Amino acid sequence: MFDGLVLLGQGIGHFLTPEGIFNVIWATLLGLAIGILPGLTATMGVALLVTLTYGMETSQAILTLMSVYLGSIFGGSRTAILLNIPGTPASAATSLDGYPLAQQGRAGLAMGLATTSSTLGTLVGIFFLALLAPLLTEVALNFGTYEFFWLAVFGVVISGQLSGSDTPIKGYVTGILGLLAATVGMESLHAYQRFTFGIPQLGAGIDIIPAMVGAFGLAEILSQIKRQPTLLTRTVTDRVVPTLKEVFQYWKTIIRSGVIGTFVGIIPGVGEDVGAWSSYAAAKRFSKKPQEFGKGSQEGLIAAETGNNAVVSGAMIPTLTLALPGSAAAAVLIAAMYIHGVRPGPMLMIENAPFLYQVVGMLLLATLANLVFGLTLTKLFIKIVSIPQDRLMAVIAVLCVVGSFAITQRMFDVYVMLGFGVIGFLLREMRYPMAPLVLGIVLGDLLDSNLRRGLGLTNGDWTPFFTRPISLVLFLIVAVTIVLSIPPISRGLGRLLANLTRRKTVTEPSVPDGPRPKE
Amino acid sequence: MTSDTGQQSVRDKADFITGLVFVVLGAVVFYLSYTMPRLEARNIHPTTIPGLVPMALGAGLFVLGGLLAVKARKGIAGEWESFFAVFRTLEVARSMAALGLVLVFTLVLVGSMPFWAASMIFLFAFVVMMEGVLTPTRASWTSILLWAALTAALAGSAIYYLFAELFLVRLP
Repeated sequence: MFDGLVLLGQGIGHFLTPEGIFNVIWATLLGLAIGILPGLTATMGVALLVTLTYGMETSQAILTLMSVYLGSIFGGSRTAILLNIPGTPASAATSLDGYPLAQQGRAGLAMGLATTSSTLGTLVGIFFLALLAPLLTEVALNFGTYEFFWLAVFGVVISGQLSGSDTPIKGYVTGILGLLAATVGMESLHAYQRFTFGIPQLGAGIDIIPAMVGAFGLAEILSQIKRQPTLLTRTVTDRVVPTLKEVFQYWKTIIRSGVIGTFVGIIPGVGEDVGAWSSYAAAKRFSKKPQEFGKGSQEGLIAAETGNNAVVSGAMIPTLTLALPGSAAAAVLIAAMYIHGVRPGPMLMIENAPFLYQVVGMLLLATLANLVFGLTLTKLFIKIVSIPQDRLMAVIAVLCVVGSFAITQRMFDVYVMLGFGVIGFLLREMRYPMAPLVLGIVLGDLLDSNLRRGLGLTNGDWTPFFTRPISLVLFLIVAVTIVLSIPPISRGLGRLLANLTRRKTVTEPSVPDGPRPKE
Repeated sequence: MTSDTGQQSVRDKADFITGLVFVVLGAVVFYLSYTMPRLEARNIHPTTIPGLVPMALGAGLFVLGGLLAVKARKGIAGEWESFFAVFRTLEVARSMAALGLVLVFTLVLVGSMPFWAASMIFLFAFVVMMEGVLTPTRASWTSILLWAALTAALAGSAIYYLFAELFLVRLP
């Protein structure tokens, strides 16, 4: 306990240097700009920026990427409030009440509330990160090859199920495509080259960074460039800094949304948008004034912004302890950590314990920067919104080429980026979610090598995959998730539950003769 | 036909076609994995063969593609004109033009001249194409060409300076 606090203090203190503060400032400002500009997402921003961090010291590089990540999730709220266009998918729920508030002439207050609740959301997430990550790491140290196999399957299946497409089938399909992409190249058990088709560059497999730059960078450009948005501007006339009462009168909503966001973050590959929507729905359900939701409810705005920012810290829990990406952007962070020599996973607390607490320090500093900039740079945000999209997309396209080339300095990675960009664009247009694809690429090797290693250890006996306690639990979750995604079964279960509830409501008043509790 | 029903019909057709594509892809992956060497000479256990996981993934893709096609089968009945009309819109033309420009940039320009020159040509062409040609509301050509030249010069040199000089990243 005391050691943990010392490490936490050291983790925060580690970045209180001119270099650390400078990196937080510029990366947060860049993240805010990425978040504000519709069409640029947090994942795209982090993937493109990995290039700039190659030469940096490890902790400073991850601090920079984390600041961009958090900044862009927060920045999306500005456009959602001012223009009713979510700057990132994470801010879609924010626009429901943020924009009506702006229409009522309270854009400043809406931005102030969004800023403070984002900060509070991150703080709730950080609390759980500091609390749960060391515990989870200890549990994960008991994981063997069987558990890691199921963990990989669990990540792809849950992400496919929950990433918000019109049918889970599409989520599962992109998950399989990601897993297949991960099988390309030399496999680790017998050093056999799979699906290389005589192309020597494919021998080393598909690198995650060019794939992500393509799927989230180029694909996004091709999607966004379809339309030429009309440039709108809005002036902010009211005060931006909210009073303590305005924020803390909704303290229950803040805590609830922070907890929901954190736990959504822990679920592999489920992003900030789901955190925001879940928190918003829960806040509406428990609110004293649910009728105001969607019409400029401050509580609704606070719930959405607390929820989406808490996801970022929550996503770091499986990312650091299990190397299981909590969100798509976290998958890029895992790749960046490997590039910089940090190995996330159960061994992190043994090999590099201070790093976990440094991540807590990174999130604290980044959210502090968000708070300061969010409350002071309103005019700058409005200027950023008016950058013409076509010119911006042209610049991003050049950055995609630079970002994918720089990692190993070979044109082959640029072609990988192009391939994933085109496939990602087509899949996006047909409403296939991208998060399972990313999880598939990241977890593919974990799934493949652990399945075959496990079977090798048992001479082909499958039993340990289903009899070891953690394996069994993970298997049951995967099985139930898949079974529930079959429409006739989920419909039947829904009808059964509805019938049971109705019967209970009907029978409850009709038991006057039964034993009554003593008063 | 209402716009929502029309969109659903177009989406069903797209889902049906992609479902079939995944069925074929799944079958091909399964076949390639099934015929992958079993490395018997190395005495490896049959359940650890390199093709095991890809085979399962190919089968999974085959089944899911089939389910998707079956789910979307209702949409394939009726007219296909609205489906093909989607490909003739300005929106698709803009996306395809953007893709074409990116392909020319990466496959032709990059490598045949210094990166800063290639990126400036690309940036200029991209802005002119999107703001001057494929747009429903065009500004004056003087303004478009001026902005395109300015974007190309400023962004092209800024990217070069930032990556190559400041962060010492090697450019293509």
